Amino acid sequence: MSHKARILAAAHRQAVDKLPFGARIDVWYNYHCAHGTLPEKYEGWNMVDILRDQGAGVQVRHMRIWKLEYDNLEVVTREDPPYTITEWRTPVGAVSLKTVFRPEEGSWIVYEVDHPFKSKEDYPIIEYIFQNTRVVPDLSEYQQKEKMVGEDGIVITGMDMYSPMQQIMRYWLGYERFFYELHDHPVQVGQLYELQKEVAKKKLEILGESSVEIPMLCANWSDEFHTPVFAKYFSPWLREASDYLHSKGKVTQVHSDGEMRRLIPLFLETGVDVAEAWTPMPMTSVTTGELRKAWGDKVTVWGGIPAVLFEPQYTDQEFDTYVIDLFKQIAPGYNFIIGMGDNLPFDGRIERVGRIVELIDKYGSMPMKL
Amino acid sequence: MIDYSALKKAVIDGDDERTAQLVKEAIEQHADPADIVTSGLQAGLVTVGEKFSSGEFFIPEMLLAARTVTRSLDIIRPLVSDSDMITAGKVVIGTVVGDLHDIGKNLVGMLLGGAGFDVLDLGTDVYPKRFVTAVMEHKPDILGMSALITTTMPAMEATIQALESASIRRQVKVIVGGAPVTQHFADQIGADGYCSNGGSAIELCNRLVGR
Repeated sequence: MSHKARILAAAHRQAVDKLPFGARIDVWYNYHCAHGTLPEKYEGWNMVDILRDQGAGVQVRHMRIWKLEYDNLEVVTREDPPYTITEWRTPVGAVSLKTVFRPEEGSWIVYEVDHPFKSKEDYPIIEYIFQNTRVVPDLSEYQQKEKMVGEDGIVITGMDMYSPMQQIMRYWLGYERFFYELHDHPVQVGQLYELQKEVAKKKLEILGESSVEIPMLCANWSDEFHTPVFAKYFSPWLREASDYLHSKGKVTQVHSDGEMRRLIPLFLETGVDVAEAWTPMPMTSVTTGELRKAWGDKVTVWGGIPAVLFEPQYTDQEFDTYVIDLFKQIAPGYNFIIGMGDNLPFDGRIERVGRIVELIDKYGSMPMKL
Repeated sequence: MIDYSALKKAVIDGDDERTAQLVKEAIEQHADPADIVTSGLQAGLVTVGEKFSSGEFFIPEMLLAARTVTRSLDIIRPLVSDSDMITAGKVVIGTVVGDLHDIGKNLVGMLLGGAGFDVLDLGTDVYPKRFVTAVMEHKPDILGMSALITTTMPAMEATIQALESASIRRQVKVIVGGAPVTQHFADQIGADGYCSNGGSAIELCNRLVGR
């Protein structure tokens, strides 16, 4: 089986010949490219070829397969280095977003420094923006990446990273202000949610008709933030989105690299098939064994090796011991894709990606017997 | 003797209107402002921190409780001189250079402020030199550093080394936290304390200042 076939089979909870491995190294790669510090062997290489050289399955990120266009309003973007300011000018007022993009720190996405929502006077403006948003398919870049990766792995893309309420939390209001607003103005926040859901449904339709195999529905949860709103806002949406995409023959995934302890029981209500970037102890409080016990074979887990394990603070022996112990916890190994939680750190050792491949070759034939 | 249990409960509930009302009532009953702060507001906030650490509470409850205390302190502050405000200690906090994430750091700042610490927040993307300057200028009891991405964690060690180079490392306790930070890492870089979550920051800082 190819890396892609193994990953897809595991995501569909089907049998595989050996343990799948989909590695993510963009933090490490972006950082070293920006600083000119890639290992000599890999100077001038692209990320996919480095992963091929290590023998690992490839995981490549792509933000979205659509463009957002707007009716009856103007979007003005200007640069104020290192920041980018985006302003939405509508007939009912204007809001602005300040972002920064720092690939030299390994990042692949922009970070919101100042969110559009500043006060309750901004509710009608943001409502207007949502009501006048069009979602237009734009698959060309995704298809190029898909072609580049081929049978060696998966290009991951989905809902702009966030489900509708998390879009509002993370992007439009910011987390702290979101919780204050949800407490102080629940009706207005609820209205934003309903409108953003309509935008998200248009994205779902594009995903449903696309070649994306495992659409990513949500990202960056942490139970201390999201548990209080998960049952009311996240779970029903994820169920609706998963049901729709299942009807299109797809399986779904979420990026679950944060603390998940109190979200684990709620996750089963979502209908999501794959928990990607699973990050166990010591970076969170949960072990992979605990997770498997809680979910059984209902969810495929992708991850299991915390990012810090790749750093020099852990010896090669400690790394091997951790990975072999992980194999023991997941044996016989079905419904599991080995991966990072969630990335190879900038000071991580690239050769440990190859070491995982060696350990899978040694112990990972199905069913695994350790 | 005023019963502060209702005030404490209002803080735990994050009910800022009820908290403000109870604070005003206590003031009208000639309660000592210091008692209102320690036995009511701070006691409530400590309980919130404990409930967060035990897993019973989540960040939204902590945010609302911290906001409640901050607003009530604004009612009390005009009634007392600066020297009468009980200060648990001085803390300088910041997110290290290269890192713009600030939710955890902000939360720790709010909780420590509510718990009686004098908090100076240097913001995000803070260079080691700026931490060192702040320690020299403000002479805090504790310096707290936050990082959310692994790329920026080495800046914590660099800051500790910069404190040593400036010969002021022993003047201040250094604590670190953030999603990728572990006790193992904190020990390795020579930090004095590590918080796995914002709720435990109050307990850690109290311990470090001998409270």
